[in-house]
Amino acid sequence: MSLIPAALATATGLGVAGAAAGLVLPQRVRGAVVGVLTAGVGVAGGASGVAALGGSRWSAEVPGLLPLAGTHFAVDALSGLFMAVAGAVVAAVAVYGAGYVAGGAHGLGSRGAQAVLPLFALSLLLVPAAASVSTFLLLWELMALTSLLLVPAEHRARPAVREAAVWYAVMTHLGLVLLLVGFMVYAAQAGGETFAALRSGSGAMSPAVRGLVFVLTAVAFSSKAGLVPLHAWLPRAHPEAPSAVSALMSAAMVNLGVYGLVRVGFDLLGGGPAWWWLLAMAMGGLSAVYGILQAAMASDLKRLLAYSTSENMGLVVLGVGAAGLFDHAGNKALAGLALAAALLHVVNHSAFKALLFCAAGSVLRATGERNLDLLGGLRARMPLTTGLFALGALGAVALPPGNGFISEWLLLQSMIHGLAVPGVTTAIVLPVAVAVIALSSGLAAAVFVKALGVGFFARPRAEGAAAARESPLLMLAGMGLLAALCAALALVPGLLGDGLDRAVEAAGRPGTRPVSGGGLQVRLDEVSAVFSPLWVVATLTVTLGAVTATVRWAGRRRQRRTRARLWDCGGGAPTPRMAYTATSFAEPLQRVFDDVLAPEQDVDVTPMRESAYLVERVKFRNRVPDRIEHRLYRPVLDFLAAAGQSARRLAGGSVHAYLGYGFFGLVTLLVVLVVGW
Amino acid sequence: MGLLRKIRDTGRVAEPAPPRPEGHVPPQAKEFGGSVQVRCVDAGSCNGCEIEIAGAFNPVYDAERYGARLVASPRHADVALVTGPVTRNMAEPLRRTVAAMPEPRLVVAVGDCAINCGEFAGGHGVEGAVSDVVPVDLQVPGCPPRPDEIVAALRRVTGR
Repeated sequence: MSLIPAALATATGLGVAGAAAGLVLPQRVRGAVVGVLTAGVGVAGGASGVAALGGSRWSAEVPGLLPLAGTHFAVDALSGLFMAVAGAVVAAVAVYGAGYVAGGAHGLGSRGAQAVLPLFALSLLLVPAAASVSTFLLLWELMALTSLLLVPAEHRARPAVREAAVWYAVMTHLGLVLLLVGFMVYAAQAGGETFAALRSGSGAMSPAVRGLVFVLTAVAFSSKAGLVPLHAWLPRAHPEAPSAVSALMSAAMVNLGVYGLVRVGFDLLGGGPAWWWLLAMAMGGLSAVYGILQAAMASDLKRLLAYSTSENMGLVVLGVGAAGLFDHAGNKALAGLALAAALLHVVNHSAFKALLFCAAGSVLRATGERNLDLLGGLRARMPLTTGLFALGALGAVALPPGNGFISEWLLLQSMIHGLAVPGVTTAIVLPVAVAVIALSSGLAAAVFVKALGVGFFARPRAEGAAAARESPLLMLAGMGLLAALCAALALVPGLLGDGLDRAVEAAGRPGTRPVSGGGLQVRLDEVSAVFSPLWVVATLTVTLGAVTATVRWAGRRRQRRTRARLWDCGGGAPTPRMAYTATSFAEPLQRVFDDVLAPEQDVDVTPMRESAYLVERVKFRNRVPDRIEHRLYRPVLDFLAAAGQSARRLAGGSVHAYLGYGFFGLVTLLVVLVVGW
Repeated sequence: MGLLRKIRDTGRVAEPAPPRPEGHVPPQAKEFGGSVQVRCVDAGSCNGCEIEIAGAFNPVYDAERYGARLVASPRHADVALVTGPVTRNMAEPLRRTVAAMPEPRLVVAVGDCAINCGEFAGGHGVEGAVSDVVPVDLQVPGCPPRPDEIVAALRRVTGR
C-alpha cells in the first residue's frame, strides 16, 4: 500500500519543482518544462486516486508541517475518485496548456502564471486527501488563491478580466468564511478537528447544531460548485480565465464542492433529516434549469460553457440530495444508486467539460473571438478542433451515444424508482426532479446545437473566423486525451469497475454495482433495469449507416443534373451578415421563457431631419441579464456602497478623532467583558 | 357563426366555366399533367396587370379550379407569370428567377407592356420586353388583360 504516499509525494515534489521552474526558467523553455512537470503532477496524483479506487487506503499524520494542529492526510475511495478525475484532467490540460502558451510571454505564459499553475494543479489533487479541518481549509485556500491568481492572467489583453477576478475573490472568500465558521462549530462540538474525530463526534451532537453545520458547509460548498444563487462568480471567472485554467476550474475545481458536500453530509455527519436534502435538491434543481436557460441565451462561447457547468453541478447535487433523502427514508440501496449516479456524472462532466473548454480555447486562440455571432465556418478551417468539440458536445447533451447520457440515465432511474420510498414529500419532489432533469437535458440539446451549429458550421461571419488556422499539435494532443476519455466513458463505463462502488461505500452507503456488469453493461439489480452503451452505439451506427445508404440509393438520379445557383430571391448573393446567429437561434427559447428570463430590449429610431417618416438610423439592443444575480446581488452591493459612503464621515482625517475611536472602542470592549461575563 | 352564415347566404359566386380555349399549346404543357404551379414576377409593371391577376385567382374567376395555383418561390413553380416592361434593375433578377425554376418550365408574358413595352417603350429605365430578356412561351395581350383572358391562357397550359 505504498503506492499512494509515494505518488502523492511525487506529485508534491513535481508541483513545487514546476513552480520553481516557472519562476526561474527563461520564457523560451518555460512553457514546455512547466507543462511536463504539471502533467507529471496530474499523472502521479491520478495514479494515487486510481490506487485508492482499486481498494487501497492510506492515512498519515505529519505533525511538524503545521504549527499547533499538524497535518492529517487520508485517502479512501471517495477521495480517490475525485483525485483520479482531477489527475486525468490536469495531465491532459497540462499538455494542452504547453501548446497554448507556446510563443506567448504574456497571459498564461507569463512568469507568475506559470509558477502558480503547477501549485493550482497540486492543490486540486491534495484537497480530497486532507483529513483534518485545518489541513482541508489550508489546501482549500491554496486552491482558491492559486486559481484567483490565474484568473486575471490575461488582464493586459482584456481589462474586463479584472472585474471578474474581483467577483471571484469576494465570492470564494465568502465561501471560505462560511466553511470556516461551519467547521469551527463542528470541531468545537465534536471535540477534535481530525475527520476521524468529527465522524465519531457527530452522533452526540444536537440536531440543531448538526443542521447549522450542514447548512453552513453546504452553502459554502455549493458556492464552489457554482450552484444558483451563489453562481455569480462562475459565468464571470470561467470565460475570462485563460482557457486551460477555465478547463481546470470547470472540470476539476467545481467538483470539489460536490466532494465537500458528500464528505461532510454523508461521511462525517453520517446523513441527516429530510430537510437538509430537500434543500440540496432545491438548489440543485434550480441550478440545473436556470443554468441551462442562461446557457441557451448566452452568445459568448465560454460563458455558455460556464453556465452549462452550473447546470451539470446542479444535476449532480440533485442526485446527492436524492441519495440523502432515500438514505433518510431507510432505503440504503436506492441511496447508493443515486449517489453512484451523481458521482458518475461528476466523472462524465469533467471529461466532456474539460474537452469543451479546451476546444473553446483553441477557437479563441485561432480567431481572437468568443462571440458565437462572429464565429462560423470553422469546420473547414479547424476540422480537428470541430470534431473534438462535437464529441464533447455529444457528451454534454445527455443523448446516446454521449457519455453524459449514461449518468443522467442512472440519475433518472434512481429518481423514478425512488417513488418506492413512501411519503408525501417523495411523491411530490421526485416527479418534479424527473421533470427538471428532462427539461434541462432537452434545453442542453438546444444549447449545444447552437454552440456547434452556429459557432463551427456555415460560413464565417467575421474576419477573425475567416482567418482561423488549426491549433498546434500539443493542444490537439491534450484535447485528444480528453476525447479518448470521453469515448471510453461513453462506450465502456465499466472501466470504472468497482471503483465507483468503493467510492459510494466510502461515503457509508452500499454499492449497487451499476457499471460493473462485465464492463459493457449498466445494470441496476435493485430496480431491474439494464442497458448496454456499446450495443446502443453499435445499433445507432448500423441504423444510421443503413438509413444513409438507403437514402443515397433511392435518391440517385437517372437523369442529367443541372447546376443552378442558390435561389437568393433574385437579389445579390446572401452575405454572412444574413446568416443565422446564436442570438437568433436562441430567440424562440427566449420568447418561451420570457417571464423567467426577463430580457431587456431597446429599439431606438432616429428620424431624418427633413421628415419624421424617413428613418436615418435604427438601433436595436437585446440583453438577457442574469436575473437572479440582478435581484439578489444588486441590493446587497448598493447597500454596502451606501454604508461605505456614509461611513466616510467618520474618517474625517483628524488624528485626534482616530485616537478617540481607539480609546472608546477599548473602553467599550472592557466594559462589555466586565459586565457581560 | 357569422362566417358560417355568410358562407351560406353568399352561396356559389364562381362563374360557370367557359368552353375550353382554342389556340397554341406549348409542348411542355403536356408534361405538367394538369397541375401547374405559378410564380408571378413584376418586372416593372404599373400594377394594373397585378390587379387583374389577383382577379383571375379570386372566387369569381377561380383559376385554381383549372389546376393553376400561385406559389411563393420559383423553386416550386412551373410557370412564371411576368408583367410589365423589364426595367434595368429587374432584368437580372428576372433571368435568375427563370433560371431557378425547374425544367420543364414556361414563361407567360402578361399584358401589352410585357409583350412590347407598351406605353413605356423607349423609356429611360426600360431594358426591353420580356422576350428580350428570357424566352417567352405564351402571351396574354391587353392593357391590362381581363381576368378571363388570363384564366384562358392558364387553361391552355393546364389543359383543363
